Amino acid sequence: MNAVKQAGMIVALVIVLIMQTASAAPAASLWDKPAEDLAEQIASILGPGQAHLTIRNLSTISVDEIPAIRRLLEQDLKAHGVPAGGTESANSIRVTLSENLRERLWVAEVTEGSETHVAMVHVDPGTPQAPQASGGLMLRKQTVFTSKATVLALLEVASALIVVEPEEIVLYGKTSDGWREQRRVGIGQKRALARDPRGIIFPSSSGDGFEISIPGMACNGSNGPAQPIESWPIHCHESDDPWRITFVPVTQTENATATDMDVSVAPIKAFYSAGRNYFTGVITANLGVDLPPFYAAALYSRPSGTGLLVNAIDGKVLILDGAALKPVSGTRDWGSDFAVLQTRCGAGTQIIASGSGEAASDSLRAYELPALEAIPASAPLTMDGTVTAMWTAPDGKSLFAAVRTTTGNYEVDRVTALCN
Amino acid sequence: MLRRFAISCVMAALALGAGARTRPHYGGTLRVEIEGDPWQRPNGLARRLVLDGLTRVDADGTARPALAVDWKSENDDHRWQFRLRPGVHFQDGSPLTSVAVVASLNVICPANCPWTAIHAVGSSVIFTSDSPMPNLPALLAADEFLLPLTITSEGKTPEGVVGTGPFQVRGFTNGMLILAANDTCWQGRPFADAVEIHVHRSIHDQWLDLGVGRADVVEAPAEQIRQAQQQRLTVVASPPVTLLALTVTDSGALANPLLRAAIALAVDRGALYNVIFQKQGQITASLLPANLTGYAFLFPVERDLGKAQELRGGLTPPPLTLATEGGPVMQLAAQRIALNLHEAGFNVQVVNAGSTQHADLGLRRLPLECNQPQAALESMLRSVGLSAPPPEQSPVSLFNVEHNVLDRKTLIPLLYLPSAFAIGDRIRDFRLGPDGTPDLANASLEDAQ
Repeated sequence: MNAVKQAGMIVALVIVLIMQTASAAPAASLWDKPAEDLAEQIASILGPGQAHLTIRNLSTISVDEIPAIRRLLEQDLKAHGVPAGGTESANSIRVTLSENLRERLWVAEVTEGSETHVAMVHVDPGTPQAPQASGGLMLRKQTVFTSKATVLALLEVASALIVVEPEEIVLYGKTSDGWREQRRVGIGQKRALARDPRGIIFPSSSGDGFEISIPGMACNGSNGPAQPIESWPIHCHESDDPWRITFVPVTQTENATATDMDVSVAPIKAFYSAGRNYFTGVITANLGVDLPPFYAAALYSRPSGTGLLVNAIDGKVLILDGAALKPVSGTRDWGSDFAVLQTRCGAGTQIIASGSGEAASDSLRAYELPALEAIPASAPLTMDGTVTAMWTAPDGKSLFAAVRTTTGNYEVDRVTALCN
Repeated sequence: MLRRFAISCVMAALALGAGARTRPHYGGTLRVEIEGDPWQRPNGLARRLVLDGLTRVDADGTARPALAVDWKSENDDHRWQFRLRPGVHFQDGSPLTSVAVVASLNVICPANCPWTAIHAVGSSVIFTSDSPMPNLPALLAADEFLLPLTITSEGKTPEGVVGTGPFQVRGFTNGMLILAANDTCWQGRPFADAVEIHVHRSIHDQWLDLGVGRADVVEAPAEQIRQAQQQRLTVVASPPVTLLALTVTDSGALANPLLRAAIALAVDRGALYNVIFQKQGQITASLLPANLTGYAFLFPVERDLGKAQELRGGLTPPPLTLATEGGPVMQLAAQRIALNLHEAGFNVQVVNAGSTQHADLGLRRLPLECNQPQAALESMLRSVGLSAPPPEQSPVSLFNVEHNVLDRKTLIPLLYLPSAFAIGDRIRDFRLGPDGTPDLANASLEDAQ
């Protein structure tokens, strides 16, 4: 018998929005506030007196958590003068744990005599992400930024975050509540945006600025420590100049030998096909070898020397080893994006590659390249959506992955590795 | 119910395509086959490939900028100002101006619009109404408000359908609509060079063509999804996007609300779901699907023949007519409903919708125009001519509007059905939009270079 159709029904709907971040607290504490709010509203409908409580779960909440939720509700109801009674109670409360596209919804149908009242409490879904174990090393991720807009790249400098979107550069300042938007700078693109937009941001070589490349445009800015974010000079102009594609972390340049400098320290730049989503294969400086069009490239240090690893648009992964371009095997599971991480685990440097599309969800996995075969060095780290970009952090010890989630929002995760 | 909801979630996940990927390749021709007309409203396949709206709605139901970059409301949602995206051109080169947008909206919505008047002011379009329009940004994302060019910059009527979308019409030959990539599309050029839409193909022929590699995307009607899976076709299904519902007149014999309530209780949704629609979709008694609201279970779906007979109270109403849209599946469903009603003491004759203008009952498919629940409900009620105050953003308001409408028993929800397509091996990143239409602009071909 559904109460909604009863004549004379009175509907009282109570909505409480509860925002909790995914990184917060253990799962049990997620339910404290909604249970308290729902109990309060139920009590305000029923007044003091016993009531029979039933709970059903139509949501993705694990059945293991239902007893805890029940205990919380009973405890909170009792505190409001509504102790849980048996089926003989005159009043009944049926709580349904439900959910929709955006959030969880707890609905209480409170029956008092012939009347039924409905109370609803919204609960923002939040589940902490546990690190995933592996054989050689363990990858873990931490979400550092979320946005409803497309995020192409970001750079963390001092207490600011510079976020590159397809049409704007957005500056965020650090506050006690997280990142807060402080300024937007239009890039001023005149040509149509790409459907698979890409962009990069690097700290400038002087150390007090940054350089941004997006299709058809280049921007630069400075972030002097004495200047507030609002007054950072940022300039954009149309440009078909090649993009810087390799990055040498500070720790590596400090210890680089003269031989290393030839290949690994001088930045390599590549021409980007602005109407498409890949690099043309033409790079500067000339390495003496013709590269195919490629999606991603990175410098990878091995005992035998540093090589340029490229991910060609035909799906092949190649390494420029000496003066020869050689195919790398074992990359069938790789997607189009990879970045290099210095971990001090195993070989010391690993390639972190996105998934190829064979799996149901996107993932990142560490590989080593002792010869010409990529050897998995970690278990896959499941991501919360599709990885759309990856880049190494300035210190080389972590990388960032931009992820388009199932809701169409973007999150940027910092990925680090732990040695097992 | 829980299982069905879980299945819906899986379908949604599939449709949204959250999987891993390699970057999409440019080039090639996507070959699509459909049974109907690519321009039919709502949700004809070609419409969203060629046309854009002022707004779009994302996967979580939030209105986002499209041809309008931002908007603001004034006067308690009685006045809205939408600022147009600069630098956008129609496929014939005409600039997107506020005058062009107003002209287009006046053509596509001559009456019964969510607004009372629209005006072009500079680079903005102003909507005004005597009643508040709290859901206008999301409503404008609906298929019915996609914007074709109606007058060129030279003051002429354009030839064919011209829009601002990712593909432009190249021609129609041998039963095939040919669309070419719009290189200057404001959202970016699509990955495929062209889309060929082979129209009026039977489902049988579509599946044959898919099997031999002559098609990349074909239809899989809800009632044939299971069969497609048995034939090992790769099926991509959307969350629920079409409501199968019974409309009930409130005049004549059915002016008596008890009789309408008896009809609502007499329909056996389970039989429709299990037998006619082969356990696809969701049984529902609510206008909006559970995945949008989370409270659909508050509306009972069970058949109660005894209660229906009790409500009829010994009255023997005159024979009723039940009109249905064409198609064997809808005919079968209508026959099954007529049988249900006969068991409750009603005499119902099934007729074709085209053969009568004033049927007592109607079996209809109502599209869920977008996945923003308030806008979806408002749009649906307008499409069936039901008046209700537009629900405000709170779920409380939404629930109350839905409950009050359903209480009249003039619209009886039966099933929510998904939209589904079977796809070939060479297509990548195939996703369905919130309204169940394929997003071919973001699909690519594996063998393209």
